[in-house]
Amino acid sequence: MTNDHQASREHPVLKVAGLGVTYPPATMALADVTFQVHPGELVAVVGPNGAGKSTLFKAISGLVAHHGTVELCGNHCHHQRDRLGAAYIPQRNDLDADFPITVGQLVLAGRRRFLRLGQRPGQRHRQAAHDALERVGLADLHRRPLSTLSGGQMQRAFLARALAQEAHLILLDEALSGVDQPRAEALLDLFGDLARSGTAFLIATHDLSLARRRFSRCVAINHRLVADGSPDKALDPASIEATFGAPTTSNYAA
Amino acid sequence: MIDWLTDPYQTQFMRHAAVTALLIGVLAPTIGVWVVLRRLAYLGDAMSHGTLAGVAGAYLTGISITIGALAAGVTMGLLVAVFDRQRRLGHDSAIGVAETLMFATGIILISRNDRIGVDLTHFLLGQIVTTSTHDIVVNSALTAVALAIVAFTFSDLRNVTFDAGHARQVGIPVGPLRIVLIVLISITVVVSLGTVGLLMSVAMLVTPAATARLLTNRIETMTAVAVAVGVVSSLGGLTASYHLATPPGPTIALVTVACFAAATLATLPRRRTTP
Repeated sequence: MTNDHQASREHPVLKVAGLGVTYPPATMALADVTFQVHPGELVAVVGPNGAGKSTLFKAISGLVAHHGTVELCGNHCHHQRDRLGAAYIPQRNDLDADFPITVGQLVLAGRRRFLRLGQRPGQRHRQAAHDALERVGLADLHRRPLSTLSGGQMQRAFLARALAQEAHLILLDEALSGVDQPRAEALLDLFGDLARSGTAFLIATHDLSLARRRFSRCVAINHRLVADGSPDKALDPASIEATFGAPTTSNYAA
Repeated sequence: MIDWLTDPYQTQFMRHAAVTALLIGVLAPTIGVWVVLRRLAYLGDAMSHGTLAGVAGAYLTGISITIGALAAGVTMGLLVAVFDRQRRLGHDSAIGVAETLMFATGIILISRNDRIGVDLTHFLLGQIVTTSTHDIVVNSALTAVALAIVAFTFSDLRNVTFDAGHARQVGIPVGPLRIVLIVLISITVVVSLGTVGLLMSVAMLVTPAATARLLTNRIETMTAVAVAVGVVSSLGGLTASYHLATPPGPTIALVTVACFAAATLATLPRRRTTP
Protein backbone atom coordinates (compact mmCIF):
# COMPACT_ATOMS: atom_id res chain seq x y z
CA MET A 1 0.00 0.00 0.00
CA THR A 2 1.44 3.40 -0.94
CA ASN A 3 1.81 6.19 1.62
CA ASP A 4 -0.81 8.28 -0.18
CA HIS A 5 -3.27 5.42 -0.21
CA GLN A 6 -2.62 4.73 3.45
CA ALA A 7 -3.06 8.41 4.33
CA SER A 8 -6.36 8.60 2.44
CA ARG A 9 -7.59 5.58 4.37
CA GLU A 10 -6.88 7.38 7.62
CA HIS A 11 -9.27 10.21 6.70
CA PRO A 12 -12.92 9.22 6.77
CA VAL A 13 -14.91 9.51 3.57
CA LEU A 14 -18.04 9.98 5.72
CA LYS A 15 -18.45 11.47 9.17
CA VAL A 16 -21.94 11.56 10.64
CA ALA A 17 -22.42 13.27 14.00
CA GLY A 18 -25.63 13.61 16.03
CA LEU A 19 -27.71 12.85 12.93
CA GLY A 20 -31.46 12.94 13.52
CA VAL A 21 -34.55 12.95 11.32
CA THR A 22 -38.09 13.78 12.41
CA TYR A 23 -40.92 13.39 9.91
CA PRO A 24 -43.86 15.81 10.33
CA PRO A 25 -45.76 16.15 12.50
CA ALA A 26 -43.57 14.47 15.12
CA THR A 27 -42.43 11.00 14.03
CA MET A 28 -38.89 10.43 15.18
CA ALA A 29 -37.19 8.29 12.52
CA LEU A 30 -33.58 8.70 13.63
CA ALA A 31 -31.89 10.30 16.61
CA ASP A 32 -28.32 11.06 17.53
CA VAL A 33 -26.57 8.73 15.07
CA THR A 34 -22.81 9.12 15.04
CA PHE A 35 -20.28 7.06 13.09
CA GLN A 36 -17.68 7.33 10.36
CA VAL A 37 -16.70 5.34 7.30
CA HIS A 38 -13.23 5.16 5.78
CA PRO A 39 -12.32 4.73 2.11
CA GLY A 40 -12.50 1.12 1.00
CA GLU A 41 -14.74 0.01 3.87
CA LEU A 42 -17.62 -2.36 3.18
CA VAL A 43 -20.17 -1.72 5.92
CA ALA A 44 -23.45 -3.57 6.47
CA VAL A 45 -26.27 -1.50 7.96
CA VAL A 46 -28.69 -3.83 9.73
CA GLY A 47 -31.95 -3.22 11.57
CA PRO A 48 -35.59 -4.28 11.49
CA ASN A 49 -38.16 -2.88 9.06
CA GLY A 50 -38.86 0.76 9.88
CA ALA A 51 -35.66 1.11 11.91
CA GLY A 52 -34.52 4.07 9.84
CA LYS A 53 -31.98 2.46 7.47
CA SER A 54 -33.42 4.11 4.35
CA THR A 55 -33.90 7.36 6.24
CA LEU A 56 -30.23 7.26 7.29
CA PHE A 57 -29.16 6.88 3.65
CA LYS A 58 -31.52 9.62 2.49
CA ALA A 59 -30.27 11.98 5.21
CA ILE A 60 -26.63 11.35 4.22
CA SER A 61 -27.63 11.99 0.58
CA GLY A 62 -29.50 15.18 1.51
CA LEU A 63 -32.86 13.82 0.36
CA VAL A 64 -34.60 14.39 3.72
CA ALA A 65 -34.23 17.27 6.16
CA HIS A 66 -32.06 16.36 9.15
CA HIS A 67 -30.23 17.82 12.09
CA GLY A 68 -26.70 17.00 13.11
CA THR A 69 -23.77 17.10 10.71
CA VAL A 70 -22.77 15.13 7.64
CA GLU A 71 -19.20 15.45 6.36
CA LEU A 72 -18.11 13.95 3.06
CA CYS A 73 -14.37 13.68 2.33
CA GLY A 74 -13.68 16.28 5.00
CA ASN A 75 -16.25 18.82 3.76
CA HIS A 76 -19.32 19.80 5.77
CA CYS A 77 -22.45 19.23 3.69
CA HIS A 78 -24.37 22.48 3.87
CA HIS A 79 -25.85 22.28 0.37
CA GLN A 80 -26.88 19.53 -2.02
CA ARG A 81 -23.83 20.28 -4.19
CA ASP A 82 -21.58 19.29 -1.25
CA ARG A 83 -22.94 15.73 -1.49
CA LEU A 84 -22.11 15.02 -5.14
CA GLY A 85 -19.51 12.49 -3.98
CA ALA A 86 -22.19 10.23 -2.46
CA ALA A 87 -24.45 8.03 -4.57
CA TYR A 88 -27.66 6.62 -3.10
CA ILE A 89 -29.18 3.59 -4.81
CA PRO A 90 -32.77 3.19 -3.56
CA GLN A 91 -34.70 -0.02 -3.08
CA ARG A 92 -35.98 -1.42 -6.36
CA ASN A 93 -39.57 -1.05 -5.17
CA ASP A 94 -39.07 2.72 -4.92
CA LEU A 95 -38.56 2.99 -8.69
CA ASP A 96 -40.73 2.13 -11.70
CA ALA A 97 -39.13 -1.09 -12.95
CA ASP A 98 -40.90 -0.70 -16.33
CA PHE A 99 -39.66 2.84 -16.94
CA PRO A 100 -38.48 3.27 -20.56
CA ILE A 101 -34.79 3.94 -20.04
CA THR A 102 -31.82 2.03 -21.45
CA VAL A 103 -28.88 0.84 -19.39
CA GLY A 104 -26.61 3.32 -21.19
CA GLN A 105 -28.94 6.25 -20.48
CA LEU A 106 -29.15 5.27 -16.82
CA VAL A 107 -25.39 5.19 -16.41
CA LEU A 108 -24.91 8.43 -18.33
CA ALA A 109 -27.19 10.08 -15.71
CA GLY A 110 -24.29 9.66 -13.29
CA ARG A 111 -22.23 12.05 -15.44
CA ARG A 112 -24.83 14.82 -15.05
CA ARG A 113 -22.93 16.26 -12.08
CA PHE A 114 -20.18 17.31 -14.51
CA LEU A 115 -22.56 18.99 -16.99
CA ARG A 116 -24.38 22.31 -17.15
CA LEU A 117 -28.14 22.58 -17.64
CA GLY A 118 -28.98 21.52 -21.20
CA GLN A 119 -25.39 20.46 -22.00
CA ARG A 120 -25.11 17.24 -23.98
CA PRO A 121 -22.59 14.68 -22.68
CA GLY A 122 -19.56 14.59 -24.96
CA GLN A 123 -17.21 11.73 -25.86
CA ARG A 124 -15.34 11.97 -22.53
CA HIS A 125 -18.53 11.41 -20.57
CA ARG A 126 -19.74 8.62 -22.86
CA GLN A 127 -16.38 6.90 -22.43
CA ALA A 128 -16.61 7.26 -18.63
CA ALA A 129 -20.10 5.71 -18.71
CA HIS A 130 -18.82 2.88 -20.91
CA ASP A 131 -15.87 2.28 -18.54
CA ALA A 132 -18.26 2.14 -15.58
CA LEU A 133 -20.39 -0.44 -17.40
CA GLU A 134 -17.29 -2.47 -18.18
CA ARG A 135 -16.26 -2.50 -14.51
CA VAL A 136 -19.59 -4.07 -13.56
CA GLY A 137 -19.61 -6.45 -16.55
CA LEU A 138 -22.54 -4.91 -18.44
CA ALA A 139 -20.77 -3.19 -21.35
CA ASP A 140 -22.60 -5.40 -23.86
CA LEU A 141 -26.00 -4.44 -22.49
CA HIS A 142 -25.83 -0.65 -22.75
CA ARG A 143 -28.59 -0.51 -25.39
CA ARG A 144 -30.93 -2.84 -23.50
CA PRO A 145 -34.02 -1.40 -21.75
CA LEU A 146 -33.44 -1.46 -17.99
CA SER A 147 -36.74 -3.29 -17.51
CA THR A 148 -35.39 -6.36 -19.33
CA LEU A 149 -32.53 -6.92 -16.86
CA SER A 150 -32.55 -9.45 -14.02
CA GLY A 151 -32.46 -8.23 -10.40
CA GLY A 152 -28.70 -8.74 -10.14
CA GLN A 153 -28.00 -7.06 -13.50
CA MET A 154 -30.18 -4.13 -12.48
CA GLN A 155 -28.13 -3.63 -9.30
CA ARG A 156 -24.96 -3.73 -11.42
CA ALA A 157 -26.42 -1.06 -13.72
CA PHE A 158 -27.17 1.22 -10.76
CA LEU A 159 -23.69 0.54 -9.43
CA ALA A 160 -22.29 1.60 -12.81
CA ARG A 161 -24.27 4.84 -12.54
CA ALA A 162 -22.66 5.48 -9.15
CA LEU A 163 -19.20 4.73 -10.59
CA ALA A 164 -19.86 7.06 -13.53
CA GLN A 165 -20.76 9.69 -10.93
CA GLU A 166 -17.26 9.13 -9.46
CA ALA A 167 -18.83 8.67 -6.04
CA HIS A 168 -16.49 8.06 -3.11
CA LEU A 169 -19.34 6.65 -1.04
CA ILE A 170 -22.08 4.35 -2.38
CA LEU A 171 -25.21 3.78 -0.31
CA LEU A 172 -27.15 0.70 -1.37
CA ASP A 173 -30.62 0.20 0.10
CA GLU A 174 -31.55 -3.50 0.24
CA ALA A 175 -29.37 -4.12 -2.80
CA LEU A 176 -29.53 -7.88 -2.41
CA SER A 177 -33.29 -8.27 -1.89
CA GLY A 178 -34.87 -10.35 -4.64
CA VAL A 179 -31.45 -11.43 -5.95
CA ASP A 180 -30.77 -15.18 -5.86
CA GLN A 181 -27.91 -16.49 -3.72
CA PRO A 182 -25.25 -17.07 -6.44
CA ARG A 183 -25.88 -13.63 -7.97
CA ALA A 184 -25.91 -11.99 -4.53
CA GLU A 185 -22.51 -13.56 -3.80
CA ALA A 186 -21.22 -12.34 -7.18
CA LEU A 187 -22.48 -8.85 -6.42
CA LEU A 188 -20.72 -8.90 -3.06
CA ASP A 189 -17.52 -9.98 -4.80
CA LEU A 190 -17.91 -6.97 -7.08
CA PHE A 191 -18.53 -4.62 -4.12
CA GLY A 192 -15.38 -6.05 -2.52
CA ASP A 193 -13.31 -5.46 -5.67
CA LEU A 194 -14.52 -1.87 -5.93
CA ALA A 195 -13.94 -1.28 -2.22
CA ARG A 196 -10.33 -2.38 -2.63
CA SER A 197 -9.88 0.47 -5.11
CA GLY A 198 -10.99 2.94 -2.42
CA THR A 199 -14.75 3.31 -2.83
CA ALA A 200 -16.63 3.01 0.47
CA PHE A 201 -19.92 1.09 0.67
CA LEU A 202 -22.81 1.28 3.11
CA ILE A 203 -25.22 -1.55 2.34
CA ALA A 204 -28.54 -1.98 4.12
CA THR A 205 -29.51 -5.61 4.51
CA HIS A 206 -31.85 -7.83 6.47
CA ASP A 207 -29.64 -10.85 5.99
CA LEU A 208 -27.62 -11.18 9.19
CA SER A 209 -25.98 -14.36 7.99
CA LEU A 210 -24.66 -12.52 4.94
CA ALA A 211 -23.58 -9.58 7.09
CA ARG A 212 -21.53 -11.93 9.27
CA ARG A 213 -19.89 -13.74 6.36
CA ARG A 214 -19.20 -10.98 3.87
CA PHE A 215 -18.73 -7.70 5.74
CA SER A 216 -15.85 -6.54 7.87
CA ARG A 217 -18.03 -4.11 9.78
CA CYS A 218 -21.70 -3.84 10.79
CA VAL A 219 -23.72 -0.83 11.95
CA ALA A 220 -26.89 -1.88 13.77
CA ILE A 221 -29.63 0.74 14.07
CA ASN A 222 -33.11 0.93 15.46
CA HIS A 223 -33.91 4.66 15.28
CA ARG A 224 -30.63 5.09 17.16
CA LEU A 225 -27.21 3.59 16.73
CA VAL A 226 -27.30 0.33 18.67
CA ALA A 227 -23.95 -1.21 17.75
CA ASP A 228 -21.00 -0.50 15.49
CA GLY A 229 -18.04 -2.76 14.93
CA SER A 230 -16.98 -6.11 13.60
CA PRO A 231 -19.83 -8.56 12.86
CA ASP A 232 -18.86 -10.60 15.94
CA LYS A 233 -19.28 -7.56 18.14
CA ALA A 234 -22.15 -5.72 16.42
CA LEU A 235 -24.18 -8.88 15.89
CA ASP A 236 -23.69 -10.57 19.24
CA PRO A 237 -26.87 -11.78 20.98
CA ALA A 238 -27.17 -8.70 23.19
CA SER A 239 -26.83 -6.31 20.23
CA ILE A 240 -29.30 -8.31 18.15
CA GLU A 241 -31.83 -8.22 20.95
CA ALA A 242 -31.30 -4.48 21.38
CA THR A 243 -31.69 -3.97 17.63
CA PHE A 244 -34.45 -6.39 16.69
CA GLY A 245 -36.24 -6.92 20.01
CA ALA A 246 -36.85 -10.50 21.14
CA PRO A 247 -34.27 -12.84 19.60
CA THR A 248 -35.41 -15.32 16.95
CA THR A 249 -33.71 -18.31 15.37
CA SER A 250 -33.25 -16.46 12.08
CA ASN A 251 -31.68 -13.55 13.89
CA TYR A 252 -28.97 -15.83 15.19
CA ALA A 253 -28.54 -17.82 12.00
CA ALA A 254 -24.89 -17.99 11.12
CA MET B 1 -60.35 8.20 -51.09
CA ILE B 2 -58.09 11.15 -52.01
CA ASP B 3 -61.19 13.27 -52.57
CA TRP B 4 -62.54 12.21 -49.19
CA LEU B 5 -59.33 13.45 -47.61
CA THR B 6 -58.98 16.69 -49.57
CA ASP B 7 -62.59 17.83 -50.04
CA PRO B 8 -62.90 19.33 -46.55
CA TYR B 9 -59.89 21.59 -47.10
CA GLN B 10 -61.14 23.61 -50.08
CA THR B 11 -62.06 26.52 -47.82
CA GLN B 12 -59.68 28.75 -45.88
CA PHE B 13 -61.38 28.26 -42.53
CA MET B 14 -60.88 24.49 -42.83
CA ARG B 15 -57.23 24.97 -43.82
CA HIS B 16 -56.79 27.12 -40.70
CA ALA B 17 -58.48 24.38 -38.72
CA ALA B 18 -56.08 21.80 -40.20
CA VAL B 19 -53.00 23.86 -39.21
CA THR B 20 -54.37 24.24 -35.67
CA ALA B 21 -55.12 20.52 -35.49
CA LEU B 22 -51.58 19.79 -36.67
CA LEU B 23 -50.10 22.03 -33.97
CA ILE B 24 -52.04 20.38 -31.17
CA GLY B 25 -51.36 16.98 -32.73
CA VAL B 26 -47.61 17.59 -32.32
CA LEU B 27 -47.56 19.57 -29.07
CA ALA B 28 -49.98 17.70 -26.81
CA PRO B 29 -48.50 14.20 -27.31
CA THR B 30 -44.94 15.53 -26.84
CA ILE B 31 -45.88 16.97 -23.44
CA GLY B 32 -48.21 14.05 -22.83
CA VAL B 33 -45.28 11.62 -22.83
CA TRP B 34 -44.08 13.20 -19.58
CA VAL B 35 -47.61 13.44 -18.19
CA VAL B 36 -48.09 9.70 -18.77
CA LEU B 37 -44.63 8.68 -17.51
CA ARG B 38 -45.03 10.79 -14.36
CA ARG B 39 -48.59 9.50 -13.88
CA LEU B 40 -49.97 13.05 -13.95
CA ALA B 41 -53.01 12.38 -16.16
CA TYR B 42 -55.41 13.56 -13.45
CA LEU B 43 -53.38 16.74 -12.95
CA GLY B 44 -53.52 17.38 -16.71
CA ASP B 45 -57.29 16.87 -16.71
CA ALA B 46 -57.75 19.11 -13.68
CA MET B 47 -55.51 21.83 -15.11
CA SER B 48 -57.53 21.89 -18.30
CA HIS B 49 -60.69 22.47 -16.26
CA GLY B 50 -59.03 24.97 -13.95
CA THR B 51 -57.89 27.05 -16.92
CA LEU B 52 -61.50 28.11 -17.43
CA ALA B 53 -61.13 30.58 -14.52
CA GLY B 54 -58.22 32.23 -16.33
CA VAL B 55 -60.14 32.46 -19.60
CA ALA B 56 -63.07 34.09 -17.82
CA GLY B 57 -60.76 36.41 -15.90
CA ALA B 58 -59.06 37.46 -19.14
CA TYR B 59 -62.42 38.37 -20.71
CA LEU B 60 -63.41 40.39 -17.65
CA THR B 61 -60.15 42.31 -17.39
CA GLY B 62 -59.50 42.65 -21.12
CA ILE B 63 -56.10 40.93 -21.06
CA SER B 64 -55.06 38.26 -23.55
CA ILE B 65 -56.90 34.96 -23.16
CA THR B 66 -53.60 33.17 -23.67
CA ILE B 67 -52.03 35.00 -20.73
CA GLY B 68 -55.14 34.49 -18.58
CA ALA B 69 -55.20 30.76 -19.31
CA LEU B 70 -51.47 30.36 -18.70
CA ALA B 71 -51.76 32.23 -15.39
CA ALA B 72 -54.67 30.03 -14.35
CA GLY B 73 -52.72 26.87 -15.21
CA VAL B 74 -49.72 27.94 -13.17
CA THR B 75 -51.99 29.06 -10.28
CA MET B 76 -53.63 25.66 -10.39
CA GLY B 77 -50.23 23.94 -10.19
CA LEU B 78 -49.21 26.12 -7.24
CA LEU B 79 -52.51 25.45 -5.44
CA VAL B 80 -51.96 21.71 -5.81
CA ALA B 81 -48.44 22.13 -4.40
CA VAL B 82 -49.82 24.06 -1.39
CA PHE B 83 -52.65 21.58 -0.73
CA ASP B 84 -50.15 18.74 -1.11
CA ARG B 85 -48.40 19.94 2.04
CA GLN B 86 -51.26 18.44 4.04
CA ARG B 87 -49.64 15.05 4.56
CA ARG B 88 -52.94 13.43 5.52
CA LEU B 89 -54.28 14.07 2.01
CA GLY B 90 -53.34 12.11 -1.07
CA HIS B 91 -52.05 13.92 -4.17
CA ASP B 92 -55.34 13.21 -5.99
CA SER B 93 -57.35 14.90 -3.22
CA ALA B 94 -55.16 18.00 -3.45
CA ILE B 95 -55.74 18.10 -7.22
CA GLY B 96 -59.49 17.54 -6.80
CA VAL B 97 -59.89 20.45 -4.38
CA ALA B 98 -57.85 22.84 -6.54
CA GLU B 99 -59.76 21.80 -9.65
CA THR B 100 -63.11 22.36 -7.94
CA LEU B 101 -62.09 25.85 -6.87
CA MET B 102 -60.81 26.93 -10.29
CA PHE B 103 -63.43 25.23 -12.47
CA ALA B 104 -66.41 26.39 -10.40
CA THR B 105 -65.03 29.94 -10.33
CA GLY B 106 -64.61 29.88 -14.10
CA ILE B 107 -68.15 28.63 -14.78
CA ILE B 108 -69.74 31.17 -12.43
CA LEU B 109 -67.73 34.03 -13.97
CA ILE B 110 -68.72 33.02 -17.50
CA SER B 111 -72.36 32.23 -16.87
CA ARG B 112 -73.15 35.28 -14.69
CA ASN B 113 -71.29 38.04 -16.46
CA ASP B 114 -72.80 39.69 -19.52
CA ARG B 115 -69.47 41.26 -20.52
CA ILE B 116 -68.12 37.91 -21.59
CA GLY B 117 -70.92 37.29 -24.05
CA VAL B 118 -69.44 34.02 -25.31
CA ASP B 119 -71.12 30.65 -25.03
CA LEU B 120 -69.51 28.42 -22.41
CA THR B 121 -69.49 25.55 -24.88
CA HIS B 122 -67.03 27.51 -27.06
CA PHE B 123 -64.35 26.89 -24.43
CA LEU B 124 -65.54 23.55 -23.21
CA LEU B 125 -65.82 21.82 -26.60
CA GLY B 126 -63.58 23.97 -28.79
CA GLN B 127 -64.33 25.81 -32.04
CA ILE B 128 -61.56 24.74 -34.36
CA VAL B 129 -63.33 25.97 -37.50
CA THR B 130 -63.34 29.58 -36.25
CA THR B 131 -59.54 29.69 -35.87
CA SER B 132 -58.10 32.96 -37.16
CA THR B 133 -54.68 33.71 -38.64
CA HIS B 134 -53.83 35.49 -35.38
CA ASP B 135 -54.72 32.32 -33.41
CA ILE B 136 -52.46 30.28 -35.66
CA VAL B 137 -49.53 32.65 -35.16
CA VAL B 138 -49.95 32.64 -31.37
CA ASN B 139 -50.42 28.86 -31.20
CA SER B 140 -47.40 28.29 -33.47
CA ALA B 141 -45.22 30.48 -31.25
CA LEU B 142 -46.42 28.73 -28.09
CA THR B 143 -45.86 25.31 -29.67
CA ALA B 144 -42.34 26.26 -30.79
CA VAL B 145 -41.44 27.52 -27.30
CA ALA B 146 -42.82 24.40 -25.61
CA LEU B 147 -41.04 22.02 -27.99
CA ALA B 148 -37.76 23.93 -27.54
CA ILE B 149 -38.08 23.63 -23.74
CA VAL B 150 -38.67 19.88 -24.02
CA ALA B 151 -35.67 19.45 -26.33
CA PHE B 152 -33.45 21.51 -24.00
CA THR B 153 -34.45 19.62 -20.84
CA PHE B 154 -35.10 16.18 -22.35
CA SER B 155 -32.46 14.14 -20.53
CA ASP B 156 -33.07 15.97 -17.24
CA LEU B 157 -36.81 15.30 -17.55
CA ARG B 158 -36.03 11.61 -18.09
CA ASN B 159 -33.72 11.43 -15.08
CA VAL B 160 -36.08 13.33 -12.78
CA THR B 161 -39.05 11.24 -13.86
CA PHE B 162 -37.24 7.95 -13.29
CA ASP B 163 -35.31 8.70 -10.08
CA ALA B 164 -35.94 12.15 -8.60
CA GLY B 165 -33.68 11.38 -5.64
CA HIS B 166 -30.65 10.66 -7.80
CA ALA B 167 -31.49 13.60 -10.05
CA ARG B 168 -31.34 15.90 -7.02
CA GLN B 169 -28.06 14.28 -5.97
CA VAL B 170 -26.32 15.02 -9.27
CA GLY B 171 -27.50 18.63 -9.31
CA ILE B 172 -30.56 18.54 -11.57
CA PRO B 173 -33.00 21.30 -10.52
CA VAL B 174 -35.87 18.97 -9.63
CA GLY B 175 -38.26 21.61 -8.20
CA PRO B 176 -37.89 24.11 -11.08
CA LEU B 177 -38.35 21.26 -13.60
CA ARG B 178 -41.66 20.38 -11.96
CA ILE B 179 -42.77 24.01 -12.46
CA VAL B 180 -41.55 23.85 -16.06
CA LEU B 181 -43.71 20.79 -16.64
CA ILE B 182 -46.75 22.57 -15.18
CA VAL B 183 -46.11 25.51 -17.52
CA LEU B 184 -45.79 23.09 -20.46
CA ILE B 185 -49.13 21.47 -19.56
CA SER B 186 -50.67 24.97 -19.31
CA ILE B 187 -49.36 25.87 -22.77
CA THR B 188 -50.83 22.65 -24.15
CA VAL B 189 -54.21 23.43 -22.60
CA VAL B 190 -54.11 26.95 -24.06
CA VAL B 191 -53.40 25.61 -27.55
CA SER B 192 -56.13 22.97 -27.06
CA LEU B 193 -58.59 25.69 -26.13
CA GLY B 194 -59.49 26.45 -29.72
CA THR B 195 -59.32 22.89 -31.06
CA VAL B 196 -60.67 20.12 -28.87
CA GLY B 197 -61.73 22.45 -26.04
CA LEU B 198 -60.97 22.29 -22.35
CA LEU B 199 -63.04 19.19 -21.65
CA MET B 200 -61.34 17.19 -24.39
CA SER B 201 -57.79 18.56 -24.07
CA VAL B 202 -56.83 15.71 -21.76
CA ALA B 203 -57.67 13.37 -24.66
CA MET B 204 -54.84 14.83 -26.74
CA LEU B 205 -52.55 15.16 -23.74
CA VAL B 206 -52.90 11.61 -22.45
CA THR B 207 -54.31 9.20 -25.06
CA PRO B 208 -51.65 9.40 -27.84
CA ALA B 209 -48.84 9.14 -25.26
CA ALA B 210 -50.59 6.26 -23.50
CA THR B 211 -51.00 4.54 -26.87
CA ALA B 212 -47.30 4.98 -27.60
CA ARG B 213 -46.36 3.65 -24.16
CA LEU B 214 -48.07 0.38 -25.02
CA LEU B 215 -45.98 0.04 -28.18
CA THR B 216 -42.44 0.98 -27.18
CA ASN B 217 -39.87 0.88 -24.41
CA ARG B 218 -37.81 3.95 -25.35
CA ILE B 219 -38.82 7.52 -24.58
CA GLU B 220 -37.49 8.86 -27.88
CA THR B 221 -39.53 6.31 -29.85
CA MET B 222 -42.48 6.83 -27.53
CA THR B 223 -42.42 10.55 -28.33
CA ALA B 224 -42.28 9.91 -32.08
CA VAL B 225 -45.12 7.36 -31.97
CA ALA B 226 -47.22 9.62 -29.72
CA VAL B 227 -46.80 12.54 -32.14
CA ALA B 228 -47.71 10.29 -35.09
CA VAL B 229 -50.86 9.13 -33.27
CA GLY B 230 -51.63 12.75 -32.31
CA VAL B 231 -51.29 14.07 -35.86
CA VAL B 232 -53.28 11.20 -37.39
CA SER B 233 -55.98 11.63 -34.73
CA SER B 234 -56.28 15.40 -35.01
CA LEU B 235 -56.28 15.57 -38.83
CA GLY B 236 -58.25 12.34 -39.20
CA GLY B 237 -60.78 13.44 -36.61
CA LEU B 238 -61.17 16.84 -38.26
CA THR B 239 -61.71 15.23 -41.67
CA ALA B 240 -64.17 12.69 -40.27
CA SER B 241 -66.10 15.39 -38.43
CA TYR B 242 -66.56 17.27 -41.75
CA HIS B 243 -68.02 14.24 -43.51
CA LEU B 244 -70.05 12.98 -40.56
CA ALA B 245 -71.25 16.45 -39.52
CA THR B 246 -70.12 15.83 -35.93
CA PRO B 247 -68.38 18.32 -33.57
CA PRO B 248 -64.61 18.32 -34.40
CA GLY B 249 -63.32 18.27 -30.79
CA PRO B 250 -65.12 15.14 -29.60
CA THR B 251 -64.53 13.45 -32.98
CA ILE B 252 -60.77 14.02 -32.67
CA ALA B 253 -60.90 12.70 -29.10
CA LEU B 254 -62.72 9.55 -30.23
CA VAL B 255 -60.10 8.89 -32.92
CA THR B 256 -57.35 9.03 -30.26
CA VAL B 257 -59.28 6.47 -28.21
CA ALA B 258 -59.69 4.27 -31.33
CA CYS B 259 -55.89 4.34 -31.76
CA PHE B 260 -55.47 3.41 -28.09
CA ALA B 261 -57.93 0.52 -28.49
CA ALA B 262 -56.06 -0.74 -31.56
CA ALA B 263 -52.73 -0.59 -29.70
CA THR B 264 -54.27 -2.41 -26.74
CA LEU B 265 -55.55 -5.19 -28.99
CA ALA B 266 -52.27 -5.38 -30.90
CA THR B 267 -50.21 -5.80 -27.72
CA LEU B 268 -52.63 -8.06 -25.85
CA PRO B 269 -51.00 -11.40 -26.82
CA ARG B 270 -47.53 -10.02 -26.00
CA ARG B 271 -48.54 -8.74 -22.58
CA ARG B 272 -50.43 -11.93 -21.74
CA THR B 273 -47.19 -13.85 -22.01
CA THR B 274 -45.33 -11.31 -19.89
CA PRO B 275 -45.37 -12.33 -16.21
